Amino acid sequence: MKLVIDPTRCQGHGTCAQLLAEYIEMDKWHYPILNHNRLKDSHLDAAKRAVSLCPELAVSILID
Amino acid sequence: MSELISTSIMAPLGPRRLSLGWEQAQRNVNGNVAFVADLDSKPRTRVSLAEHISNYGRIPTGMTLGMILETLKVSNLTGRGGAGFPFAKKLEAVISSSSKRVPVIVANGSESEPISKKDVALLRNNPHLVLDGISLVAGILNAKNAYVYIKDREAAATMSAAIRERRDRGLSELRITVVDSPGGYVSGQETAVVRRIEKGPALPRFSTERVASSGVKGAPTLLSNVETFAHLALIARFGGDWYRLGGVSKDAGSRLLTVVGEIERPGVYEVTSAATLTEILREAGAGSLKGLLVGGYFGGWLGVNTLADLDITLDETTLNSKRLSIGAGIIGVLAKNTCPVVEAAGIVEYLASQSAGQCGPCFNGLPEISTAFARIALSSNVDRGLTELKAVIPLVEGRGGCQHPDGVIGLIRSTVAVFSDEIKLHKVGRCSVNGASHRSVLLPNNVFASNLTGIATR
Ligand code: SF4
Ligand code: SF4
Repeated sequence: MKLVIDPTRCQGHGTCAQLLAEYIEMDKWHYPILNHNRLKDSHLDAAKRAVSLCPELAVSILID
Repeated sequence: MSELISTSIMAPLGPRRLSLGWEQAQRNVNGNVAFVADLDSKPRTRVSLAEHISNYGRIPTGMTLGMILETLKVSNLTGRGGAGFPFAKKLEAVISSSSKRVPVIVANGSESEPISKKDVALLRNNPHLVLDGISLVAGILNAKNAYVYIKDREAAATMSAAIRERRDRGLSELRITVVDSPGGYVSGQETAVVRRIEKGPALPRFSTERVASSGVKGAPTLLSNVETFAHLALIARFGGDWYRLGGVSKDAGSRLLTVVGEIERPGVYEVTSAATLTEILREAGAGSLKGLLVGGYFGGWLGVNTLADLDITLDETTLNSKRLSIGAGIIGVLAKNTCPVVEAAGIVEYLASQSAGQCGPCFNGLPEISTAFARIALSSNVDRGLTELKAVIPLVEGRGGCQHPDGVIGLIRSTVAVFSDEIKLHKVGRCSVNGASHRSVLLPNNVFASNLTGIATR
């Protein structure tokens, strides 16, 4: 599973970074940097919350 | 087959390697370079379908999918929009997604690079060749809808007339629609084209899928540059082996090239990959040179110190060995007394202004990059500029929804690598081009008025 952020939608609210601090940090303009995207099973729940709480629908989980 | 070849309009060229051209009396250097149009090419007279057929012969009917694929593979045809992807592979990707949905065809002629004129020249002068290619692949894919995406109004009118002519003759069931490109640098980006055809804004869309599997309204979409379709029309007529007579084997056939900048005869040229830069620049009337921008704004520089630097052929293997690629088919020429760093900084400033404003790292980062680079170009504070670039580039690279920011970074890297001596001079407040005015040679003034001094003090 892969964590994906659509940069064209993201408005930098940062909810995702709070929920997934191990994966995402915010840059100096307050946009998320995805440091790595391979989602661990144990983080799936947090990732699902990030998907549903992103106000711009910019976060998704890609099953590959 | 051989009869058809002998009626091709390129009769003056001997071994007919160059066939996209439309002028009867073309200049020619050993069959590898021909001038085909001025930058503001006006069509002489509209070429009727009947004339078109008498020029090129009829497009063969009854070619099966397998035959087309085989011929394309022999030809090694690559897309002519910039990425240079093998066309046969793209076609296969569309076919493999076409079992559930009817595919759509898109010919991209938006030509958003301000100094490129080859697509306009092709569309204004040879619309039927493009339509031949579109109809041919529509036939084998059983597509019902095709789109030609065009920015230039006159080209769009010519194309519409050509489509009407074919429809009136009842030539095919295919519905071909001309879609206006609004212009702007990112409007020619694949996903922006798709969005515009869907009646949305011509802005890139982020997608984890390729347009070949999910493009226009989710349908598998064969999207390629208009010139690619014109080549396809020639290959279908004359064969993959014929196509390989031109150029070197991996880079077969010909391509249209816009040659601009400080030369006597700027224009659109048809060249094979066996043409050397020396030959092309002789035709274009170049004097003593500082460097060439190869491939367009997202391309790279070739520094010219001696004439031997120009003694290279245009095939991708040779160009790649110099960290170059022919890209969208552009060669921008700078004369000895023009500062390439100032040129590049002007282009970067323009490209920063062209961010679609959708992605934070792009619309925040590109202006910072552009300001830092302007400091380097103007010799005002080179060290500070270099430090700022080092800090900001990692925050931008790979973080856009499209390739736009990475393209800008590529141009900067090439400038810094190729003209490092120049930048050293800038560091001590000098420039090899004394008293260089800050005009832009490779950035048309009517497109963008650069203000490096303004942004360098930002
Ligand atoms: S929550 Fe959504 S909008 Fe906010 S930073 Fe993350 S991806 Fe961007
Ligand atoms: S990277 Fe820039 S140009 Fe590309 S979609 Fe994002 S904002 Fe638009």
